[in-house]
Amino acid sequence: MKERIQAEMTLYEKLEILSDAAKYDVACTSSGVDRRGDGTGIGNCSRAGICHSFAADGRCISLLKILFTNECIYDCRYCVNRSSNDVPRASFTPDEVCTLTMEFYRRNYIEGLFLSSGILKSPDYTMELLYATLYRLRHVCNFQGYIHVKAIPGADQRLIQMTGYLADRMSVNMELPTAEGLRLLAPHKSRKNILAPMRFVQEKSRENRQEIALYHSAPRFVPAGQSTQMIIGATPETDYQILNVAEALYKKFDLKRVFYSAFIPVNNDLALPDLREKGPPLLREHRLYQADWLLRFYHFEASELLDEAHPNFNVLLDPKCCWALNHLDIFPVEVNQADYYTLLRVPGIGCKSAARIVKARRTGNLRFEDLKKIGVVLKRALYFITCGGRMMYRTRIDQDYITRNLLNTRERLPEGADGMTYRQLSLFDGEGKLCAGGSVK
Amino acid sequence: MKQIYICNDTITGIYSALYDAWKESRDREAGIELKGRTQQQLFCEYTVVEENQKKAIQLERMVKKHLGYNAYWDIYHALLSNDDRKADAVFCTIREARKIKDSRRIMEHLSNPDVAKVFELSRSVSNEAHLYQEFIRFRELEGGVLFSEISPKAQVLTCIADHFSDRFPLENWMIYDMTHKAFLVHRAKKQWVLIWGEEPDRRAAESISDKEKEYELLWKGFFDSIAIEERKNPRLQRTHLPLRYRDGMPEFAEKVVKTRKQV
Repeated sequence: MKERIQAEMTLYEKLEILSDAAKYDVACTSSGVDRRGDGTGIGNCSRAGICHSFAADGRCISLLKILFTNECIYDCRYCVNRSSNDVPRASFTPDEVCTLTMEFYRRNYIEGLFLSSGILKSPDYTMELLYATLYRLRHVCNFQGYIHVKAIPGADQRLIQMTGYLADRMSVNMELPTAEGLRLLAPHKSRKNILAPMRFVQEKSRENRQEIALYHSAPRFVPAGQSTQMIIGATPETDYQILNVAEALYKKFDLKRVFYSAFIPVNNDLALPDLREKGPPLLREHRLYQADWLLRFYHFEASELLDEAHPNFNVLLDPKCCWALNHLDIFPVEVNQADYYTLLRVPGIGCKSAARIVKARRTGNLRFEDLKKIGVVLKRALYFITCGGRMMYRTRIDQDYITRNLLNTRERLPEGADGMTYRQLSLFDGEGKLCAGGSVK
Repeated sequence: MKQIYICNDTITGIYSALYDAWKESRDREAGIELKGRTQQQLFCEYTVVEENQKKAIQLERMVKKHLGYNAYWDIYHALLSNDDRKADAVFCTIREARKIKDSRRIMEHLSNPDVAKVFELSRSVSNEAHLYQEFIRFRELEGGVLFSEISPKAQVLTCIADHFSDRFPLENWMIYDMTHKAFLVHRAKKQWVLIWGEEPDRRAAESISDKEKEYELLWKGFFDSIAIEERKNPRLQRTHLPLRYRDGMPEFAEKVVKTRKQV
């Protein structure tokens, strides 16, 4: 046991250190599982998830997001808790985590626990501590709320399996999109080590689904699925590479979510880019999330949105508009006839409005007024659709013309990302798909 | 002459008025208004309807039977809102349902202004109720009772009761609605009850348990350290968590005190 030369910390100090260390984890969702309380303990879960507060940076606080310990044997260059950093170190005991979770939950501060950890001594040792904490929370405190826990890469599979039966969601962080970047910035981690527990959780969940089909009361293994996160902008990967990785994760690993986290420099390290002047690449993060939604809900493929020749997203237009402008040959589409999947590709028509259109046109022909009521964003959609064979205004199907008009409509960027645009430009190579076409300069 | 029914602004009150209005004057000009919020009109006959549990139950059964559960859900939520015309809109909606072939699809007829009104009210009430599920904060009083005070626009207590009963079945908790002066009380392992017209005992409500201050402090510390300085964005925070919900939240308590001093 390592001797520590410091006074015993109070719970307040520990919480401050260990939540501060956990704040760079993006996922704070409490969604994906519906569970009513059984009347003997405390807590329930709702499928849509519940946010309980919003921090000063506007991100939701749904779970008590903490590290179990920030003592870490690894030396990842981007991380505050790297072993070579001189920061105050602290560790909770399982008992303290349980008390905090239960007392916060009772007061309706939180929806559950998000437990991550630095690597104390060894992956197995750390995973065991996480398991012990979860076990105590579920079986001694009888907590039935949401638990999101990290699977520690390199830990014994049996430990991960046992922990999975106690948690609702598990995640292993990809950290960086490519193996190359990982070697550069996280010398103690390897791609193989990260993907192994991910594959394991995937296989276990599949098995578990069959068990549940057979025995309804079989214990649930990670019922809300697994997620991961990647740091954006710390290594020179292109958006195309990142999006391809995300697509592969969704398709091959059945992930529920991939989170992107704009790189925020916390260490002075020569291997890291210097972003202090520009601030974190928030707009790039936003574009990646937009593309992520296109992959998950709009049936797009990564290769449709970007390619080798145009590897980065356009700064000025969202990915869907860009795609549409590069495929003007299929537009305009007739709203009263086009199938659901074609409607989904129209800028300004989302999943909800596409479904409503398909339902509403059974009873009669749709006009532009009806589209507006349905929730279609006409100022974007009008260049790409016809209603009863007519376009809304006299418009040309011409890339330059439509681009100019779309730029005038002012995309509603998330607050904070909009102010950044002019400072962002240098991060991109300025060769978005459209720029190459010579229409946006 | 137009017949106008005047009733209390409670679910039982309005249901009783709807019952009478439906029984007596569904085929002629009629309306329902809320006590204390009426505007006197010419050529109208006013009748005051007393709250009547029996009539209310009958009406509930009738609406569920003829309009279906989903429409009933919308009507119930619309009637909890803070709108002078809500009872009238519901009455017109029920009358409108008679005219269409399939009364159960009444809530799809959004082109009718009264139906649209009911739909809109129901949506805003259920949205507000959902926000209170998120933003209610309990404090532990001496004796371990969890207590919370809210000031919602609509009468959301019954909408959030099941959620919290399911979540905290073994706790004694209560929520006080300051706007409507109503209590939602839940005793451990019991059903929740709604109590009207009582005021909380101020002394008891302020005497918090020994541990309470400590946990509030811990929560505040967590709340401050979880935010990333480089991404600070108060506008985004305000969109997601409007100021009017922040009153009972310990994480914002200090700031409120500061602004009051400035004033």
